[in-house]
Amino acid sequence: MMKRIAHFFMLSCRKATELIEKKSVTRLSVKEKIGLGLHKSICDACTAYEKQSRKMDELMQHHTHTHTSTTNTEALKNKIINGLPEN
Amino acid sequence: MQFVMDRNNPAAMVQCWVELYTDELYTWAFYKTNKKETAEDLVQDTFLAAYQGFDRFSGKSEVKTWLFSILHNKIAEHYRKQYKNPAANTGTDLSYFFEPDGEWKKEERPQAWDTDAALLDDPAFTSVLNKCMDQLPAHWNAAMKLKYLEDKKGELICQELEITPSNFWQVLHRAKLQLRKCLELHWFKNK
Repeated sequence: MMKRIAHFFMLSCRKATELIEKKSVTRLSVKEKIGLGLHKSICDACTAYEKQSRKMDELMQHHTHTHTSTTNTEALKNKIINGLPEN
Repeated sequence: MQFVMDRNNPAAMVQCWVELYTDELYTWAFYKTNKKETAEDLVQDTFLAAYQGFDRFSGKSEVKTWLFSILHNKIAEHYRKQYKNPAANTGTDLSYFFEPDGEWKKEERPQAWDTDAALLDDPAFTSVLNKCMDQLPAHWNAAMKLKYLEDKKGELICQELEITPSNFWQVLHRAKLQLRKCLELHWFKNK
């Protein structure tokens, strides 16, 4: 019986990592949640993957924030104003 | 800042907005696209749309809020186009990482990274991250960027890209795997 239950929730690493990404954008179903939890409890690789995936989120988030450019906005303003109709 | 709207002279109003808000809009557009030319075009499109839609601006919300909402749409539209560009739709197959039965390939099994907090302040790392993002196929890159566009929820991103939710996280999954691989090759394995 336990075996059948375990089998019902069994995920491959491919599926488990997909669910890890799914989880970051939307809710998982109860079955998916249990399956992912069980899978991670026995799979070091996917546990490491999840940690790294979250790390990448953090890096991407931060990265885009710190990335600024120095552009000549005066030139841009003139270009925009000149580009408006009736000018 | 709040202005008394002179509805009879939209051109003057929009010019005034250009002077006031270009810097902020540009900074945001650049932050979202990482490309100077793209950011400039998006800001210009935003003001043009504001000018054309001047009559629809009720004055109930602040000008700045309204301009930013236009810009957000322009950015999303930009990525939607990029996403749909079929020429760019290639990337590493999942079979690169997984065995046919779905288990990790032995040499691709994730192992803990040696990450330190200072990573975020390291310009060398930033340049590797940039390079790795650029190497992603354009539509994967677009999906990733959209994910970090403010705190958009998945459903919203799907609507913007006009794809199904399952398609979206599958794309995200592939993009993450490839980005991870690239970071590992160019950074974590060299440490």
